[in-house]
Amino acid sequence: MKLNSKIPEGPLENKWRNYQVQSHLINPTNKKKLSVIVVGSGLSGAGAASTLAELGYDVKCFCYQDSARRAHSVAAQGGINAAKNYQHDGDSIYRMFYDTLKGGDFRSREANTYRLAELSAPLIDHFVQQGVPFAREYGGTLDNRSFGGVQVQRTFYARGQTGQQLMLAAYSQLYKMVRAKKVEMFPRSEMLDLVVIDGKAKGIIVRNLVTGELQRYAADAVVLATGGYSRVFRLSTLAIGCNGSAVWKAHKKGAFFGAPSFTQIHPTALPQSSEAQSKLTLMSESLRNDGRIWVPKEIGDTRLPNKIPEEERDYYLERRYPSYGNLAPRDIASRAAKERIDAGYGIGKLKNAVYLDFKHAIEKFGLKTIKDRYGNLFNMYQKITGIDAYKEPMQISPAAHFSMGGLWVDYELMTTIPGLYAVGECNFSDHGANRLGANSLLQASVDGYFILPNTINNYLATESKADHPSIDHPEFGKAEQEISEHITRILAINGTKTVDHFHRELGRVMWQECAMSRNKAGLEKAIREIKQIREAFWKEVKVTGKHNEMNPELEKALRLADFIELGILMCTDALEREESCGAHFREEFQSAEGEALRRDEKFAYVSAWEYDKGDFKLHKEALEFEFVNPSVRSYK
Amino acid sequence: MNSLFFRKMVVALTGLFLCTFLIVHLSANFILLLPESMARELYNSYSTTLRESPLIKIIAYVLYAAILLHAFYALLITLRNRKAKPEKYVVNHSNENSTWTSQNMGLIGTIILLFLVLHLANFWARIKLGIGEEVGLDALGNRDVYEVAYTLFHNIYYVIFYTLISIPLGLHLHHGLKSAFKSLGFYHKKGLQLLAKVSVIYAVIMGVGFGIIPIIVYFK
Amino acid sequence: MKVIFKIWRQEGPNEKGTIRDYEVDGLNEDMSFLEALDHLNELLVLKNEKVIAFEYDCREGICGQCGVFINGRAHGPHDNITTCQLHMRSFKDGDTIVVEPWRAASFPVIKDLIVDRSALDRIIEQGAFITAKTGTAPEANSILIPKETADRAMDAAACIGCGACVATCKNSSAALFTAAKINHFNSLPQGKAEEHKRVAEMMFQMEIEGFGSCTFTGACEVECPESISITNIAEMNARYVKSKLLK
Repeated sequence: MKLNSKIPEGPLENKWRNYQVQSHLINPTNKKKLSVIVVGSGLSGAGAASTLAELGYDVKCFCYQDSARRAHSVAAQGGINAAKNYQHDGDSIYRMFYDTLKGGDFRSREANTYRLAELSAPLIDHFVQQGVPFAREYGGTLDNRSFGGVQVQRTFYARGQTGQQLMLAAYSQLYKMVRAKKVEMFPRSEMLDLVVIDGKAKGIIVRNLVTGELQRYAADAVVLATGGYSRVFRLSTLAIGCNGSAVWKAHKKGAFFGAPSFTQIHPTALPQSSEAQSKLTLMSESLRNDGRIWVPKEIGDTRLPNKIPEEERDYYLERRYPSYGNLAPRDIASRAAKERIDAGYGIGKLKNAVYLDFKHAIEKFGLKTIKDRYGNLFNMYQKITGIDAYKEPMQISPAAHFSMGGLWVDYELMTTIPGLYAVGECNFSDHGANRLGANSLLQASVDGYFILPNTINNYLATESKADHPSIDHPEFGKAEQEISEHITRILAINGTKTVDHFHRELGRVMWQECAMSRNKAGLEKAIREIKQIREAFWKEVKVTGKHNEMNPELEKALRLADFIELGILMCTDALEREESCGAHFREEFQSAEGEALRRDEKFAYVSAWEYDKGDFKLHKEALEFEFVNPSVRSYK
Repeated sequence: MNSLFFRKMVVALTGLFLCTFLIVHLSANFILLLPESMARELYNSYSTTLRESPLIKIIAYVLYAAILLHAFYALLITLRNRKAKPEKYVVNHSNENSTWTSQNMGLIGTIILLFLVLHLANFWARIKLGIGEEVGLDALGNRDVYEVAYTLFHNIYYVIFYTLISIPLGLHLHHGLKSAFKSLGFYHKKGLQLLAKVSVIYAVIMGVGFGIIPIIVYFK
Repeated sequence: MKVIFKIWRQEGPNEKGTIRDYEVDGLNEDMSFLEALDHLNELLVLKNEKVIAFEYDCREGICGQCGVFINGRAHGPHDNITTCQLHMRSFKDGDTIVVEPWRAASFPVIKDLIVDRSALDRIIEQGAFITAKTGTAPEANSILIPKETADRAMDAAACIGCGACVATCKNSSAALFTAAKINHFNSLPQGKAEEHKRVAEMMFQMEIEGFGSCTFTGACEVECPESISITNIAEMNARYVKSKLLK
């Protein structure tokens, strides 16, 4: 199968317009007869569901949480980027496009990335209209802050709650359409399989998490908006329920998986403090605007941070990257922290953290300004650690965060299965090998609100003539049967170890070998170990409770079973890519100064993996740079 | 008109009216504290004036209505609120997040209502309805209401009861006054801070005022 | 660290529930409260028992999904936090910890500590939105909003919808939740067009969902993880009166 990215003709700035002009439309009466399933109710899912409903489609939206509003988009703190150039600091669509492409180390499509930047400005207009209380200047105009990896101020924010506020806007709009009876909402419902009929996505199998009942839903198209899968590392900044099952099931049904190993490790999370820890809380990257990162110059310096004089502190980011300093992109900041921690300079109880210090900012801007900017983040920090960060520096540490990888999609956000779309974090589209801060909310929203509602018509226009799928089709029966057997099998193992035990094992291997820095031997070992974990899981796991009731342990087990398989693919992908790019750092490929060594001549492609009966087959989508010249990424 | 909000409005408005009434009531009661020669005539002529004024007659009916409505709608709200929380917590430390008064306005209100029955029997029933022992006339020919109070407050049990009841009264007024304003939609930030102080002052004056009169009269 | 958990167990919405005791050893102070429950659940699995069903998702205090009554307080002994932000360092070795689900007629128990809060979604459904379609927005800076207005809207908008206000309120009133949402939208110019309809319909829905009325005990603002002020309720009342008068 040849990958067709469907990039429209014309110069960069005209591509999206050209696409819209040429794509098929559907008249309002016919739209009413077409139905779309949206899985996930985060920014991209709720945005897509509400907008598709506004257009007239009949929408069903599913989420595993108790309410659509809980989706993990809420957790993004820092902000959302847009090329508005409100600060008059030389920003433009082109600059934002270039920053994003460069931030991703030239491993994404020009056309997609440009479209992301192009649609960023109208997105801010949209959210303001929907009532998002963005931060404002005294004069009433919108305020901006700066963020990692760029030199302009283009980040819009709502205190430290930007994700929550955008999410609530999306949720509001979604419930507006629920009220209008154009969206039917199914909370506490988890998609367990995709139903493909005659090669096209036509429905899903869902487990009702309250009753345990397996249910069938059919539609003319299926949209996955299921977020990232970094919980494969177990300890991550993600919500505990975030999982990769929907995309994994789609992958197994034929959707190619794009760049699965591209995972962002966020530099400013709270460090792990015990083995029992379930989650690493993220502290917004925006803190790096005013906070300075350092470790003591001496190994094993046990003095309290405030007792360590200036000249004995190593502000290593400022030292290594003088022009970006503390605002270096995430992958670089994380790796630099890891370098210091591995060299023994780490601080804190487990020597696994670095300091993030606001002393200078407070001296310079005053306590009030800092409180205004980061008040709730400081509060949150104190709630969790019991430390007052106005008085002593925060302790931070890298943590698994964002999945740049995801289902491979073309310019229309359609996967390799016709009628199956992937939007938001669960696709691989715009961020390349590393995502810039405050681009995640942007991509999720732009995908859901603006792109998908335009591109899906193009497919549904042909489907409107076809028969509408029925849940009585044998494919539905087959899929339901398979899932039912899968569940029975897990419950029947009745072994001696808990699901969390295996998740910890998987996380340990993944974090060790497939996180911030990777090497051939380690990845090969990881694949072997994960396969052993898989074998052990299916022999020794113990899940109590029944299938036909609310059973949180069973939910975890089902998710972990998929994570284990996904972990193998991630390591396989990391092993195959013999270069360092963005967040993907292969130790064998680095410069003398320890910077990433990209190999455009051999690896300027997107890896798209096809599932092949338990094995994976690589397809390559060559990345052609028509408009920019991929440079060596330097933030020095 | 049967919405929860409407019921709250009724309770708040009648409550505020009763608060105003209490100011007048207490002011008049302070006459009882004057030397006997002055107090008796003044108090009796004051009460005669009230009884005979047509305006006051109307206000009196409004007052009865206010008491009944206040109690009735508060009861409706309480019943409805109880229904909203059918199952109680096994352990509940509500004292850590709110005052005891605010949690028990219904109970306090009921105590005050029971007191009110007795209070009306003591005074209103005798003076206005002529039930029980007949009330005599004073030197000026006014009904000797002063004597009624004087006799009552020389019974130590009544003194204790009337004094003690001023505690729940003060608590009820303290929470009731500020909440009434908020229920009616007063949300000015500085104003609410002021209101909180005013509520304390008001409740203390009412509580201490009504509580101390029986004691002073007792020792007269 | 060792504690005795007394936890409400209830098989289903129509089953009878009861408090059951669990002595749990091997905890440490750095564990979050929910991680202690995770730990207990692992022990239960190994003892071939069903796990305790409880809610959580983000575990960083923002999604609003977690929430139980711990030792007589919504979200535990501290003011203004979520359950997931509570850590075992707040308890002493040997403590007894009573854990109960949110109690309210409008929040029926689904299982163990999990309740159904969809009533809150239905309040939102009745008007917590701005009726404008995607693609119809004017330029963002074309409507100026003074910083004070935006900040106040943000204060109200910070609600995470956990339901602690309802849980702690002796009347199970959802007034703080509803007020926060109404004030968020109604204080912004974008929300003005539908302000009266919004306040009337959302308050009506709050009532028919079976929530009680606000008697200003103030418990809600003490338990609210986002410290949303109870003044919001007074403001909502004012908006309601205004909507009735201007009808």
